[in-house]
Amino acid sequence: MRKLSRTIPPHLWAIALAIFFLLPVYWLLQSTTKDNGQLIQGTFLPGDPNHFVNSNLTEVASFNNGVMLQWLANSTLYAAVGSVVSTFFCAMAGFAFRRYIFVGRRFLFLLILGFSLVPGFTLTLPLFIEFKDLHLLDTMWAVIIPSCVNVFGVYMMVVYWNQVPDEMFDAAVIDGAGETAMFFRIGLPGVRPGLITLLIIAFVGIWNNYFLPLVMLSDATKFPLILGITTINSLQGFPIYNLRIMGAFLTALPLLVIFAVLQRFLAPQLTGAIK
Amino acid sequence: MKKKNSLRAYLFLAPFLVFFVLATAYPLVYGIILSFFGQRGAKMWFVGANNYAAVVADPQFWSGFGIPAFLLFVQIPLMLLLGIFIALLFERIKRSAFYRLIFYLPYALPGVIAGILWSYMFSKSMSPFVPLLKAMGVAQPDFITNPNLPWILLVIILWEWTGYTALVLYSTLVSIPPEYAEAAQIDGATRFQIALHIKVPMLKNTLFLLLIFNSIGALQVFNEPRMLGGLITLPPNFTPAMYIYNEAFSYGAFTFAIAMGLVLAAVIFVISFLFMKGSVKELDVHA
Repeated sequence: MRKLSRTIPPHLWAIALAIFFLLPVYWLLQSTTKDNGQLIQGTFLPGDPNHFVNSNLTEVASFNNGVMLQWLANSTLYAAVGSVVSTFFCAMAGFAFRRYIFVGRRFLFLLILGFSLVPGFTLTLPLFIEFKDLHLLDTMWAVIIPSCVNVFGVYMMVVYWNQVPDEMFDAAVIDGAGETAMFFRIGLPGVRPGLITLLIIAFVGIWNNYFLPLVMLSDATKFPLILGITTINSLQGFPIYNLRIMGAFLTALPLLVIFAVLQRFLAPQLTGAIK
Repeated sequence: MKKKNSLRAYLFLAPFLVFFVLATAYPLVYGIILSFFGQRGAKMWFVGANNYAAVVADPQFWSGFGIPAFLLFVQIPLMLLLGIFIALLFERIKRSAFYRLIFYLPYALPGVIAGILWSYMFSKSMSPFVPLLKAMGVAQPDFITNPNLPWILLVIILWEWTGYTALVLYSTLVSIPPEYAEAAQIDGATRFQIALHIKVPMLKNTLFLLLIFNSIGALQVFNEPRMLGGLITLPPNFTPAMYIYNEAFSYGAFTFAIAMGLVLAAVIFVISFLFMKGSVKELDVHA
């Protein structure tokens, strides 16, 4: 490493690595311009003629009566509801830990922290049986209800609330604010960066969650995009590659936009390390 | 000052707790109970610890750990080394923000998409590498073969997580006071010596946490190999998580699968225990 780093300037290393990191994203983008005949030619160049709009987008809209658009809507619904509800609940729970001394405080915090380490699929199998007993299987609730819980978010919220100084609460008490007003008017603005970060992480986490809907849903019209695209097959049972690639593109696009626009809220921390 | 008020506290905790119990705590307890039952179809009967005995004695379950072990001993060390190298590179390049954005980009995409993209890029039908290799004289390049699978998985996971790893390490590096390196430089240390003897030791804690997080991830790996499974027939026990899923949903052995899930959770829990000990400190910041 020593000799190499001396003879090869840092920028060349960085460019070589950048090519590696960009390659699949570039390959995805140029593949969206190709029909199946062009895809199997296996080049790195965009399709000529360009099929992005004319066959690919129109096929996305027409495939199985527009089920891909339904998946897109489902993903948006699951992620929007789950992220807003879970983040709000986390903020409330974080406030409780910050503001009060209560029976079972330490035990509850340890319990929540402990549960954040239980792997998803360990819980998803018994959850499947629980939802079967409750007749929730293959309904949208089977995806929405678990998405409203963000166990690690509570821990993150406790960290964010700890950054709100005691003086802010004391001043609010002197001003005669009640506890509810304190939470909404003083607390929430104080933890706003944390709220936004948590909202994004939760949204992306639900948008990307493949395993939960895989287990819970069998009706294709309720699938989120990330599950749906892995099921795009012809009547003979073979994958339709151009549509799967368009599906991957539609799944990735909002994530890339979020990443580009909201990057300052997503500083790499060790906290969000579970994809 | 904190207020003593259990009722108020639980009012604020209630919405979270209701959903937490419904979708997290109860399933775990229910799962533990179910793991003591035998099951065929809808019929269940108490079997004591038989499922656990079967898990421990099941060679299929343990051979599924081959992939996590490969990731732990090959992929993760490689990624940490690369991460250190890239973090040091970021330090040397004056305007590294652009590179940091690009290197971090794969982190924005989920494992399923990474799995799809790489498996298509390595597939016989669509690979852009095949025409290149053919032009270079390789007769019939075929990437996705069973012996190659661990290495393909390694490429996918390196692609997903190396940039993130490098950025975490870089943010630790920039928090090291520059005086240390300057003092060493005055004493005549080379850049390589400074990196090895001053900077890398300061990254120790961060590296340790990254190691733990990645080990947990390696034990649970599911999405990427499942996407590879679209192109090649994988054994049902390719990874522990895939074995658990297949036992439950392909063979209907739910309670056995649940017991396996709990054994895996126990393994992960032991590994993460060290991390937890550090996190409890947050509770006492304003005590």
